[in-house]
Amino acid sequence: MIFAEIARVTLRALLGRRRTLLMLLLAGIPILVGLIVRANGPGVRDVGATLDGLVVRVVLPLVALVFGTAALGSELEDGTAVHLLTKPIRRSTIVLAKMTVAGTLTAAMLVPSTLLAGMLLARPDTDAFSTTSALAIGVLVGSYVYVAIFVALSIVTSRGLLIGLGYALIWEGILAGLLPGSQVFSVREYVRGIAQILSPEAIESVVGSGAAAYAAIALVAATVIASLRLAAYEVRGSD
Amino acid sequence: MSAGSFAPLPGAEGAADAATGRPAAALLLERVSRWYGNVVAVNDVTFALGPGITGLLGPNGAGKTTILHMLAGLLRPSAGRVMIGGQTAWHNPSVYRSVGLVPEREAVHAFLTGRGFVEMAARLQRLPDPRAAAARAIATVELEAAADRPVGTYSKGMRQRVKIAGALVHEPSILLLDEPFNGMDPRQRLHMIGLLRSMADAGRAILFSSHILEEVERLADGVLVIHAGRLAAAGDFREIRRLMTDRPHTFVVRSSDDRHLASAFMAEPAVFGTELRDGRLTVRVAEFGGFTRAVARVARDAGVSLFEVAPTDDSLESVFAYLVSRR
Repeated sequence: MIFAEIARVTLRALLGRRRTLLMLLLAGIPILVGLIVRANGPGVRDVGATLDGLVVRVVLPLVALVFGTAALGSELEDGTAVHLLTKPIRRSTIVLAKMTVAGTLTAAMLVPSTLLAGMLLARPDTDAFSTTSALAIGVLVGSYVYVAIFVALSIVTSRGLLIGLGYALIWEGILAGLLPGSQVFSVREYVRGIAQILSPEAIESVVGSGAAAYAAIALVAATVIASLRLAAYEVRGSD
Repeated sequence: MSAGSFAPLPGAEGAADAATGRPAAALLLERVSRWYGNVVAVNDVTFALGPGITGLLGPNGAGKTTILHMLAGLLRPSAGRVMIGGQTAWHNPSVYRSVGLVPEREAVHAFLTGRGFVEMAARLQRLPDPRAAAARAIATVELEAAADRPVGTYSKGMRQRVKIAGALVHEPSILLLDEPFNGMDPRQRLHMIGLLRSMADAGRAILFSSHILEEVERLADGVLVIHAGRLAAAGDFREIRRLMTDRPHTFVVRSSDDRHLASAFMAEPAVFGTELRDGRLTVRVAEFGGFTRAVARVARDAGVSLFEVAPTDDSLESVFAYLVSRR
């Protein structure tokens, strides 16, 4: 009941008109690209790589970042979280409810977007279904992992949005490609790895079969860190 | 107007300090300090409060909110011990079963209705009948008419009241309020004073902060005066009032003959200095009460008409500074 109550209010807060519209637009970009490709030619041969570039690399981390940092971080910033923090509730319950809502919202936008974009992009003569659905499942898992990390980040620092952006763009986008071995700290690699496990033809991944384990470890670690940090959370703006 | 009534608390003195076996104070700070980097916000403060209403009085920035936040478990004390209801306040969410906090910042989700906000608080407190409890709390703060409107449409005073309803929906034995009267009109203030009084009479411990002397004087049984992070004075309000008035004061006097009046004042034991400058007579007195009683008589005996007698240093800030310097 407590979990459901927190989840219900979080969902209402996250579905603010402008933010939802913006995120729907972001999630619509892969579909739009798919429509353009379909209208102008036979489609792409390598659906996996195209979806990776469109969804996994850009749209997924951005949508997860916005929902993940807003779910709890913006409430801590504007003070509405005080009403939640001064209740006899386990801090892990608050963290789990926030992560579940933000993760589900991210997945609800991006899994259909991935599936639809994959179908539109693929050349009719290729079997794109297994690739697309494997990536969609990777995106589903990735939504929760990204969100968990960004929720934890928003408790640890008030600059969660900025640091999260740095993680997605600079770490995952540039550095993880240059430093061998560092990909185990990249959620993007987990998404690709899970897709590869499900459909070996779909995409190449560095972490390979370990992806599911890495994703699970990241999810648990982020949840534990977020719960511990929330339990020791100190309000800002006391005189 | 009705101020709502509260049943006496069962076992209000039940909680005992495990170490001493004595009944535990509802609120306890023991040699508590809190600093942010190099800035000391609260400096070695000790007090213990039981049931009743206590005012936490001090100018803005004195450390009142920091003290309330430490009591509410939202800030870790840098040194010392903060206990609430016989338990450690920090890192202990179970204390919120018996504690209600009304923060100063107004933040309540704008999309929730007043009723929705209070019912949420009731559900998060795991109350058996959240709807009924919320309806009672809303009636207590007289917000029934606006209860089904979004909080975003509320006035400052209404938001204040809905937060109070949310904080007392589980009928806590301890209530902490940060500047609760901000934004309320006089009628709402009066109602809130009656409400808090009735809660205190039922055995609850209430601590509220304010920077307005008259607010504290009207409501509080006891008072804690905070200035620059230190506890400047604590105890009965009349005692504090006396300390505040029996201090050196400066008055500006305008009269029909300032020079003559100045020499007459110097014969008074309460006066220890006069100054005539730029056509203004400034009188320094040892003690507020003695001078105000003497001033009319001195002027009459000297045959001088008084036009104006005004204290110059009456700001609360100087009162607090004086109290701190005495210690």
